[in-house]
Amino acid sequence: MTLQECYQAMGADYEDVLSRLRSERLVQKFVLKFLDDGSFDLLCRSMAEGQDEEAFRASHTIKGMCQNLGFTKLGQSSHELTEALRGGRSPEADQLLERVRADYEQTAGTIRAFRQSIGA
Amino acid sequence: MEETNTKKQTILVVDDSEMNRSILADMLGDEYNILEAEDGLEAVSVMQKKSDEIDLMLLDIVMPRMNGFDVLGVMNQNGWIEATPVIMVSAESGSPQVERAYDMGVTDFIMRPFDALIVRRRVVNTLLLYAKQRRLVSMVEEQIYEKERRSGMMIDILSHIVEFRNGESGLHILHVRTLTDFFLRLLMQKTDQYHMTAADISRISTGSALHDIGKIAIDEHILNKPGRLTAEEFEIMKTHAMVGARMLEDLPVHQDDPLVQTAYEICRWHHERYDGRGYPDGLAGDDIPISAQVVALADVYDALTSPRVYKAPIPHETAVQMILDGKCGAFNPLLLECLSENAGEIRGQLAAGSVSKGTRREIQAIADESLHSGASKRTLRLLDYERDKYSFFAALTEDIQFEYTVSPPMITLSPWGAKKLGVDEIVMDPVNNPRLQQVLGPGVWDRLSALLHATTPKEPDAHMECLLHYGGEARWHRVISRAVWSSDTPPRFEGALGKAIDVHEARVRLQEMEQKASTDAMTGLLNRASARERIEERIAERPDSNYALAIFDVDRFKSANDTRGHQFGDQVLIQVAQRLRRSIRGTDISCRAGGDEFMLFLEYKTEIEKTIDRIFHSLCGPFEGFNVSVSMGVALGETVGLDYENLFHAADLALYSVKQAGKGLYRFYDRSMKGTLSAITAIDTEARQGGDAS
Repeated sequence: MTLQECYQAMGADYEDVLSRLRSERLVQKFVLKFLDDGSFDLLCRSMAEGQDEEAFRASHTIKGMCQNLGFTKLGQSSHELTEALRGGRSPEADQLLERVRADYEQTAGTIRAFRQSIGA
Repeated sequence: MEETNTKKQTILVVDDSEMNRSILADMLGDEYNILEAEDGLEAVSVMQKKSDEIDLMLLDIVMPRMNGFDVLGVMNQNGWIEATPVIMVSAESGSPQVERAYDMGVTDFIMRPFDALIVRRRVVNTLLLYAKQRRLVSMVEEQIYEKERRSGMMIDILSHIVEFRNGESGLHILHVRTLTDFFLRLLMQKTDQYHMTAADISRISTGSALHDIGKIAIDEHILNKPGRLTAEEFEIMKTHAMVGARMLEDLPVHQDDPLVQTAYEICRWHHERYDGRGYPDGLAGDDIPISAQVVALADVYDALTSPRVYKAPIPHETAVQMILDGKCGAFNPLLLECLSENAGEIRGQLAAGSVSKGTRREIQAIADESLHSGASKRTLRLLDYERDKYSFFAALTEDIQFEYTVSPPMITLSPWGAKKLGVDEIVMDPVNNPRLQQVLGPGVWDRLSALLHATTPKEPDAHMECLLHYGGEARWHRVISRAVWSSDTPPRFEGALGKAIDVHEARVRLQEMEQKASTDAMTGLLNRASARERIEERIAERPDSNYALAIFDVDRFKSANDTRGHQFGDQVLIQVAQRLRRSIRGTDISCRAGGDEFMLFLEYKTEIEKTIDRIFHSLCGPFEGFNVSVSMGVALGETVGLDYENLFHAADLALYSVKQAGKGLYRFYDRSMKGTLSAITAIDTEARQGGDAS
C-alpha cells in the first residue's frame, strides 16, 4: 500500500497534507506517529468517567492532529465531538463519541495495515 | 554541541500534543534550537528559568493544567512578553479568541492545519521584527548620547570664548567644572539635605561652565588690568554676576530648561558669601542655592592656584589653608569639611580631567533613564512585580519594615509596622515629621543616619538598639538596616532598607539576669567580680580623681555562727550590709567579697580619714545581743597607685596589720606594711585569678 492509497482508504486528503508539509517523508513519519498518540484512549476513558473537560481537551487534540495530517473524516467527527463537549457535555456527545470511535478505528486500522505493507 | 549552536535562536514550542510539537519542530528545521513544553505550567517554568534565552514562543491555547491564555497572563505580569514574542498556534478560529490573544500581546497567529511555509515565514518575520526593535532601541540611545555630547560641546565653546577674553589659562572652566562635580559628590556622601540625583549633579557641573559669561559685558581694560582695581572699577567688575544672570533670563528660548535655570543660579549667586556679605544680593547660608555655593568654592580655589595677570599662582596647600581660614570668603561649613577632608585628592582630580569620563558615564545613565519609559518597560514591570511580591510578603509579616529614600525624602513602612507605630505607611520628609520623630525620640534618627552613612557599598549593613515610643510605652527595638549606595564613583548614599525587631522582653530579662549575676543574693550587695569590673570602669573613666579601697570583716563572726547558729550569722551579715549601704553614697561601690568580708570603693576630694572614720563607726554597734565590730584596712590610690590589684593588696595588708594589733580598728596602708602577710590570702588569690568567692 502506498501512502496515497492509505490516505484514500482513511477518507483523508493526501494533496492537502503534502502541500502543507511539503515532504512525503515527513507526512509518513507523522502518520505513523499518529498510532502512538494516547489522546483517543484518554478521550474514551474520560468520557466513561465523566471527566468532561479532559474529554474536551483530548477530543480537541485529536481534531488538531487530524487537521495537521489532513485526516478529513476523523477530523470532522472529532470536531463535532469537540464542539459537543465545549463548555460542558451536551446530550449528543455520547452518540458523537461512537462516530469518532468508528472513524478512529478505521483510520488507525488503515495506518497499521500501511505500516505492515512498508515493513516498518 | 557545535559552536554554531549557541548562535542559533531558541524557540519554545508549547503544545500538549507531542505530535503537534514534533511537526512544528520538523517544519522549523535545524536553523533553530527548539525547546518543548507540554503544557502551560511547564512553559512558565521554562520561562522562569531562562526567559532571557527564549527568542520566540509558539503557544497552543487548549492545554491541560494551564491553558495558553493563562500563560499569556503570566507573561504579561512578569513582563516576559516585552522581550519574547509569542505566536499563537491554534485550531480555534473564533474571532473573540483571536482578538483576546492580540490584546494580550500575541504577535501573530498560526492556524491549524500547519503549513510549513507559513509557519517558517511567520517565525522568521517575528524574529526579524524584534531584532529590529532592539536595534532601534540602541540607536535611540546613541542619538541621545550624541545630543548630550553636542550641547556639552556648545557650552564648552561658549565658555571658552569668555575665558579667552578674560585672559584666563584656558583650563579654568574645566577645573571649576571638575571641582564642582567632585565637591557635589563629596557633599552628597556627607548629607541628604540637598536632595540631589546624579542628573542634578551633572546639570550643575555643566552649568558651572557658564558662571562667568557676564564678564563678556565688562570692559577688557578692567578685566585684564594687571594691578589692583579701583573701587569704581571693582563696582563695574561686580556687575558681571547679575549681567550673566540677565543674559540667561532674556534668552528667547529654553528659559524653562532646568540647565538654564541652574546656570542662572550659578551666574547670579556665585559671588555670594555664606555669611551674607557677598554680592549682588547679599544672600546668606542656604538661601544661596547649593549649586552657586559649590561653584563659588571651586572658582576661588582655582583662581588662587592659577596664574593671573595680577598675581602669581599660589601653591595648593597654601590655597586650601587660606580658604579654610576664611581669608577668601565665607563658605558652608559642610563644604569646607569636604575640602579639608579631601584636599589631597584635588590635584589628582584636576590632572585626570575626570569630568570628561564622568560626563560620559553620566550621559549613559541619563540615556538609560530617559529610555526607561519606552524601551525598558520590561524592567519597570519586573520591578513592579518585585514590588508587588515585596509588599505582599511585607503585609504578611509582623515586623516593622521600612524603606528610606533620600530623594524624594520619604519613608515607607510595612502596613503592620505603620499600624503598630501609629504612623502613616508613607511618611514624606521624615526628619520634620513630628509624629515619626516622637516615635523615635531624640537622637535616634541622627544615630541611625550616622551609622548608615558610615557604611560602604561593600559592607552596607548597620544595626543598633534603641527605644521606640508608641502605644503609651517605650520599648527596646533592634534596628537592622542596609544602606543603599549608588553605583557612581564615589558612591552616593541613596537611602536604606531595614526592619525594627521588638527585643524589649529579651532585653529586660537580660538586664535582670545581669543584675542577678552581679549581686550577692543574701545581702543584695554586688559580688566581688562585678565590683571589680565597676571599680576598673570608674578608674578608667576618671583617672584624675582620688580613690580609696577598704576591706573589712566582722570580728568574732565565727563564734557568732558557732554559738547562735548559721541563720543568726546570716542575719548579722545582712545587718552589716544594711549599715554599710546607709552610710555610703550611691556612687560608692560596695560589695560582699565573700564570707564575712566586705569591700568598699570610694571617690573623695579631701579628708578621707573623716569619711572612713564615720563609716567605720556606723558599721559597729550591737545587733540582737551580739556586739558587731569590724576590722578594716584602707588603701589610697595616691599612696599605692590607681590600680585595682595594688589597692586590693594594700588594703588587705592594712587589714592584716589591724588583726595583728587586736581587731576592732581601721588602719590606712603605709609602706611599713609592705612585705607583711595577707589577712585574707584566700580571697586575694582568687581575686588575682578573677574568681568569684561567693
